[in-house]
Amino acid sequence: MNKFVITIGLLLLSNIAQATTEDQISFKSEQQKQLYLELTAELRCPKCQNQNIADSNAVVAKDMRVKTKQLLDEGQNKQQVIDYMINRYGQFAHYQPPFNVATSMLWLLPIGFILFAGFVQVKRSKSKQQVDEPTNLSDLDDELAQLLVSDSNNKIDTSASNNAKTEANVKDIK
Amino acid sequence: MTKKINFRFLPLVVFVLLLGFLLKGLFSDPSERDSALIGKSFPQFELPDLNSNNKMHTPETLLTEPVLVNVWGTWCLTCKYELPFLTKLANEYDVKIVGLYYDQNHAPEFGEYADIPTIRVEVKEMLARLGNPYQYNILDLDRSLSLDLGVTGAPESFLIDANGIVRMHHMGDVNERIWREKLAPVWNEISQ
Repeated sequence: MNKFVITIGLLLLSNIAQATTEDQISFKSEQQKQLYLELTAELRCPKCQNQNIADSNAVVAKDMRVKTKQLLDEGQNKQQVIDYMINRYGQFAHYQPPFNVATSMLWLLPIGFILFAGFVQVKRSKSKQQVDEPTNLSDLDDELAQLLVSDSNNKIDTSASNNAKTEANVKDIK
Repeated sequence: MTKKINFRFLPLVVFVLLLGFLLKGLFSDPSERDSALIGKSFPQFELPDLNSNNKMHTPETLLTEPVLVNVWGTWCLTCKYELPFLTKLANEYDVKIVGLYYDQNHAPEFGEYADIPTIRVEVKEMLARLGNPYQYNILDLDRSLSLDLGVTGAPESFLIDANGIVRMHHMGDVNERIWREKLAPVWNEISQ
């Protein structure tokens, strides 16, 4: 039992020791550290399918982290570091795609979708309003008059006929 | 009335378009992408020969004629499979092949150093066993040239023309099919 506890304890300790080896990067300033963290989160590991270079343990991701730190030490700004990586690994290496013909769909498609949905909504509510407009009612009045003429002796439940006709109209427009 | 019919088929059209888009994605290779280096000059470098610390290689010594630069390492399993074919290319098709030795372990920033004598022994043993396509090997210990070349791992191969312009960047092994379909057309063009 004692051996077991010691083994587990040592395993946990070795884990901690390993985790700290790579995290000991000394930064010139808090601002540089912030920039480094932003860049490693935004730059994409070219070897892995979907990881940023901060997340990945691939050799190339490590090299890119080291290079990022080195370029920051040289005094380069964020955009310069990003351009440096894009020049070597292509646009793939940056998680923020630029706006161009090929990528325009990413922005335009959702906007287009919303506009289209709005257009359909407006059109629908307009056609519903038309049902209630007096022109339709006058049509109904004409029919009603005809019915009254052809069957003047019988009493007609006008309200029922009116309702049925209106429903039919709505269905037709839909 | 005609407008009504258009709207009715709209979901179907959207569905078919989406289906086509997803079907295309199913058969596309996500690791395949254009290299950023095509059409650019081979990057500057000054690196030692794998077998001699005193012998230095530069673009001036490397890029005198069309060359296939092959990024490899003894640790890389796929590289073992392409060595025999590369050897065949060098011997039968007269392709000038230069190795760029990519070491995985060397990382001075993290206190890890590669053992060069061990690498030399391993390389010698492996090339004797599987074939040696290389005129010589450049040792890129800190992977600086590899980073400049946009190398993501090994094996990768570059075709560089006589003017030192990168014409092709292939990620993965070079085999009979890849050579015939992808690399040979470019090689034939630049080696004329």
